[in-house]
This record gives sequence, structure tokens and C-alpha cells, in this order.
Amino acid sequence: MSENVFKFRPNGSASDSSGEDQEGQERDALGPLTINVLSPGIMSPTALSPHNKVPNSPSKVGPSRKKRRAPGASKPDEARVLHTHGRRTLYTAGRPPWYNKEGQLKDAFVIGLCGGSASGKTTVARKIIEALDVPWVSLVSMDSFYKVLNHEQHERAGQNEYNFDHPDAFDFDLMISTIRRLKDGKSINVPIYNFATHAREKEMKTIYGANVVIFEGIMAFANLELLELMDMKVFVDTDSDVRLARRLRRDIAERGRECQGVLKQYMKFVKPSFEHYIEPSMRLADIIVPKGGENDVAINLIVLHVHNQLQARGFKLRGQLAQSSHNGQPMPGTLHILEKTPQVHGIHSFIRDKDIGRDEFIFYSKRLMRLLFEFALSMLPFKDVLIETAQGVPYSGKRIAADKIAGVSILRAGETMEQALCEVCKDVTIGKILIQTNLDTGEPELHYTRLPKDIKDQYIFLLDATVATGAAAMMAIRVLLDHDVPEDKILLCSLLMAQSGVNSVAYAFPKVKIVTTAVDKEVNEAFHILPGIGNFGDRYFGTDYAD
Amino acid sequence: MEPDVIPLSEQSAENKVMPLESNTNDEEDFDLGANVVQLRVTDGIRELQTVIRDKSTPRNDFIFYADRLIRLVVEEGLNKLPYRECSVTTPTGHTYDGLRYEKGNCGVSIVRSGEAMEQGLRDCCRSIRIGKILIQSDEDTHDAKVVYANLPKDIHQRKVLLMYPIMCTGNTVVKAVRILAMHNVKQENIILLNLFCTPHGAKKIIAEFPGLRILTSEIHPISPSHFGQKYFGTD
Repeated sequence: MSENVFKFRPNGSASDSSGEDQEGQERDALGPLTINVLSPGIMSPTALSPHNKVPNSPSKVGPSRKKRRAPGASKPDEARVLHTHGRRTLYTAGRPPWYNKEGQLKDAFVIGLCGGSASGKTTVARKIIEALDVPWVSLVSMDSFYKVLNHEQHERAGQNEYNFDHPDAFDFDLMISTIRRLKDGKSINVPIYNFATHAREKEMKTIYGANVVIFEGIMAFANLELLELMDMKVFVDTDSDVRLARRLRRDIAERGRECQGVLKQYMKFVKPSFEHYIEPSMRLADIIVPKGGENDVAINLIVLHVHNQLQARGFKLRGQLAQSSHNGQPMPGTLHILEKTPQVHGIHSFIRDKDIGRDEFIFYSKRLMRLLFEFALSMLPFKDVLIETAQGVPYSGKRIAADKIAGVSILRAGETMEQALCEVCKDVTIGKILIQTNLDTGEPELHYTRLPKDIKDQYIFLLDATVATGAAAMMAIRVLLDHDVPEDKILLCSLLMAQSGVNSVAYAFPKVKIVTTAVDKEVNEAFHILPGIGNFGDRYFGTDYAD
Repeated sequence: MEPDVIPLSEQSAENKVMPLESNTNDEEDFDLGANVVQLRVTDGIRELQTVIRDKSTPRNDFIFYADRLIRLVVEEGLNKLPYRECSVTTPTGHTYDGLRYEKGNCGVSIVRSGEAMEQGLRDCCRSIRIGKILIQSDEDTHDAKVVYANLPKDIHQRKVLLMYPIMCTGNTVVKAVRILAMHNVKQENIILLNLFCTPHGAKKIIAEFPGLRILTSEIHPISPSHFGQKYFGTD
């Protein structure tokens, strides 16, 4: 099973010290969170070889919606701790930047995995994913792309007379467009194939966030266009006798089928297809893995290669951002700063003061957030309306023209702003993105995303309390763009920004509106804003006291 | 007790002079002097006004949008209060040149609709003292009559944020300010926080109390006089 599990534990003391309603409201969301990385089909027992499917368990066909634990997580959690810094503990590796400082995407690394039926492709894929031990690997199985069968084909399939082992049984066009989007770093929807009805489920499985994509299937090398998308092609070569033996055992013992039927289907479809289509495609492979999943040497070699490839693509984004030549440039036109009235100025004086009590810090922060969102809301499109007043006189006014608005907060500090957004924006949906700085590299890393479903049709208020280098904000914007949110529908809202952050974000994403209450001039070596406000999240949640 | 009511004769007169196309809401139309300040009307604020005026607005929406508008008026009203400069040290050890608000302010709400604004003020200034004045207007003569007043003892030393959301004739506010004057509050120390104000209401106040400042979100001949009833659900 290929899911990588990630747990994030907020400091227990964070939520009980002052009883703010917001903390109570968010406690659920902060979980312990369990994240599963997408692996349509791999664990569903029916997905392994479709022609053997006994249509008796349609409920098992789609990937279970329940969150499951990866085998790796069966070890005690402590064994998986990657970083501990102060009170902050990370339980998994985050996803490093998959775009450059201009915000442009780098391609994902696509591994094609081909081999005959029951050759151990899935085991190899699973072992690669386990050995990589990063959550930003997506596994896509060809089984999701079987064509929808018409009634007559469906009947034949029931009698083992339909050839699932032929290239014509697959929807290659959809496969190509899906893998291409995934390679481009975009989110995709993988169909869920129901082997009982031989049709696609209405629900789609959404996959997002892959730096490494593994694509496996018996016909993985059968299409030229598909081959061109692969950065590495692996063929799993297992002896025919072994494969037949495995199939017989699996189909008879696990699926209760007749020996005769299995053999008949094997001789009629599986074997000729292997000889005709699959075995010849072996010459297209970069690496041939004999003995399938037991071949640890081969798997380690593959993993090593992937690691090298990923490292070659990485770079120091934040350092580049902090030192980038944007400094001293005029502020971009997309920047909107809340008017510095005496109240706004006064609130800043309170919340920037290092000696202020937490109670007042939270109170004044919230007031400032409310003003910020009222300000940001007025930047959305409005339409003229003529209404009838209660006094019976028509009145020409305005109503907001944006249909739906969603808030997306960058954990942890951005979460503090959710309540203020809800106070000015009825029925707003809230998404969350967890980005943490990797203390070894200084790079932001993506750990978690949960976004509203139809996010691409909505105006997005991206929330982060402070923006210093802009690295986290850029990563979050990139995530939104990958989910097809148009750039000009994103408003980055924060209480305090540094000039360099403003410039970096505006340079990479010139259509994103940047809304803030103040812009400070400098960022120090530790990427703190000066004079700044300190670590906003720590001060708000009370996790900042020494010792 | 309904001080929000516009005398019928006046309303119909206004209807005549307010044809649809001239239904602009710009304060330029009304020269009211420097002491009448209108919030800068953004699209967002215009939406709030639209929802509040719309007769088809459900009550929970009405309260939600009214509270938002009240909060914005209160925040702007607080900007008129005195402050002094100061500098603070930030957690990074650097100095920030800021300012501190002066003490010695209070709020006074005119019951009943003024009470709708109390929470907005409370949300900005948690421990501010709030006095109340209850004024009832005669059903027939529309004469406003003071029924009850309870004000902070040292109100004469304080700046007063007088809260009254809908001002039509201005009679009620005139009465209230007279009460304040009886407690030795200077006109210059009173700021009227108001959501909707008619031009003649504003003129009446200014004529009577030239030192008083009015902060409003909209100056328009038709005021949403259903505000109190809809906010408190007594309609």
C-alpha cells in the first residue's frame, strides 16, 4: 500500500490558554491529521488484473474514502519524526518547491512501469514509493483507464469473452492528457473504473502534488506519445511460469474461480497478448527488473537514480528570493495597502510591541484583520443593482458580482485570520495549506492541502499573517494555480509584508492582488521582517515563551 | 416610542423632488460644511447600504450587513479621537514608530436604535464606558421627549461618541445633545456616529450645534427608517 502518512500535532498547550473561540473552532482541523497520498487502484484487490474480476464486490472497486495508514506508519510514530525544532515536530518530508522563482513549473519526474500480468509491477511500485519515503509521489494505474463497455461487451466480459489484454481496451487519449497534466504539476481527476459495471464511477479521484509520478500497467509502453512523457522506463520481467502460477493461486484461492476458466482465459487472451504486445515492448525500457518485487538491488538502483534526479532539479529558492534584485524597486501596482489611519497605526503599535499581553495581541490583531478583509472585499467585482427599498423608493446600489468566495489559509499563522474572514463574508468556504520551512535547507515545503472542491470557479482570499520573503505565499499561489484557479482571482491577504516579499510575489504572479495593512522595508538573514512583528503564529497561539 | 419615523408629509414631499435618475447618493449634492464627514464609499460599503435598504433582505442578512457597516463607522469614528506619538520595541529588537490612543472617551447611545451600535463599539474598545439616553417621540406631534438618561459621571471631561444610526428629522439627536450639554459636555467633544442621514437632518444639527461633528456612511434624502424595527425584529 503506497500511502504515506503524515501527522501534524499542534502543541497541546496552544489551544487551552485563553479560550478564544477561533482556537476551539479550529481544533478539529489541526487534528492529528492523516494525509494519504493518492494511489488509485493499487490496493484495490480487483485492480490487479481486470479480466479476473468477479463482480461481487463493487464497493471495493473505488479507492476507499477512509483514510488508511501506510505500512510504514505501523512503526511507532516516533520512528518517523524527521525534524524536531523547539516545539515543532514534523513527521514527514514536505514537498520542496516544484517551480522556480518566477513561479514557473518544473516538470514532474515520470516513471513508466510495464510488465506482464501478475509480474509484480505493483510490488515494485510500492517498494519504490516506500524507499523514496516522500509524500509527493503519485501512483497512477492503467486500470483506471479501461474503456467504458457497451451492453454487448459487458455481457461478453461476464463470460470471460472480452479481451482486457488488448491496447484497444484502454482509453489512451485520456491517459496521455492525464499524465501530461500531472507532469506539468497540475491537479488531475483520475476516473474510478467499476469492474462490476464496466463503467466509470461518477466520482473522480483527484490527484495533486506530485514531483514523482509512477505510471504502471500492462500496456504502459504501448503508446508512443505516452512513452515520450516518461523520464524513466522500467520493465518488470518475471518468468511466465511464475506469473501463471501466481495468477492461478490468486484467482482460485482469493477470488474463488474455477481452474478451467482461469486457464482458458489465460491461453485465449493473456498469453497471446503478452507475447504480442507486452514482451516486445521490453526493448523500450531503460531498466529491466528480473524477478519483480523481490529484486531489491534493482529497486535500490532506481530509487538512487530518482533521488539524484530530484536533487539536480532542486535549488535554493528562499535565499534567491531574499537576495533577489527586486529590492529597491518601486512597489508593484497590484499591491494595495490599507490606509494608515490613526486606528490602523495604533493597532500596529500594540501588536508590534514585544511587551504586549497575549490577550491584547489577539484582540488588536483581530480588529486589524477585520479591517483588512473589509478592504479586500471592496476589491472584488461589483455590479450595479436597482433595488426596492423598504420605504418604497427605488435605490441604485451595488452588489458583489463574485459568485463564490473561498478563504485558503496558510497554516499555521494564516489560520488566525479565518474567523475575521467569516465575520465579513457569509458562507465562505475555507481551505488549508500547510507549508513549513525545512530547517536544513531553509526551503519552504508543502505538507498538506485541503481545498474546496470547485475552487477554480471561486475568488480566493489567500491568508497568511505575515509575508517576509514570499516563499510560502508563492508556494501556496502555485498550489492554487495548479488547481486551475485563474491568477487574477487570487487575493493574497496579510497583516504585514516585507518589500522583498511583495516584489517577489508580484514578479512571479503579476495578476495576483496583494492586500496588506503595512509594508516593512527589510528582511534579516533569518528571514524575519524588520522592524516586524515577530513570529505571528507563535505570539497568537502562545507557543513563543522561552523554556 | 418610535423616533425613527419620518413625518408623512415630509416623506411625500421628498418623493416628489427625488425622481429616479437623480437618485445619486453623492455628498457633493449637499453642502454641509467640514463638520459633516462621510465615510469613503467603496463598492463594499455601497453593497452594505444596498442590502440594508433592500426591502427583500431577510432579517439575519440585515443584521449581518448592518453590523459590518456599524463596525466600519465605529472604526472611522475612533480615528477622530486624540492620540499621541510613541515608539515601541518589536520582538526583533527594532523600534517601531507608532502611536497610542488617549484615554478619556465614552460612548452614548440613543435608545433604541442607537443600542444596535453599542456592540460594534464594544468590539473595538472592550472596556469603554457607555451611557444611554432614551427619547420618545410623540406619535402625533413628532416632538421628541426625553424619558431617561444615564451617563458617566465625569462625562464633561470626556470625548463622546454619540450613537444613532438613522437620522431623519434630527429632532431626536437635538434633544440628546441638549441633554449632554446639560451635563456640561462641549459640542466640540461630541462626535455623532451615524449610518444614514438626511441632508435636512444634518443641516438642522449643524445649525443648532456648529461645533458638533457628524460621521455618517451616506447622506440621502430617504433614510431606511425601518432600521430599528428590522434590527430588533419588532416589525
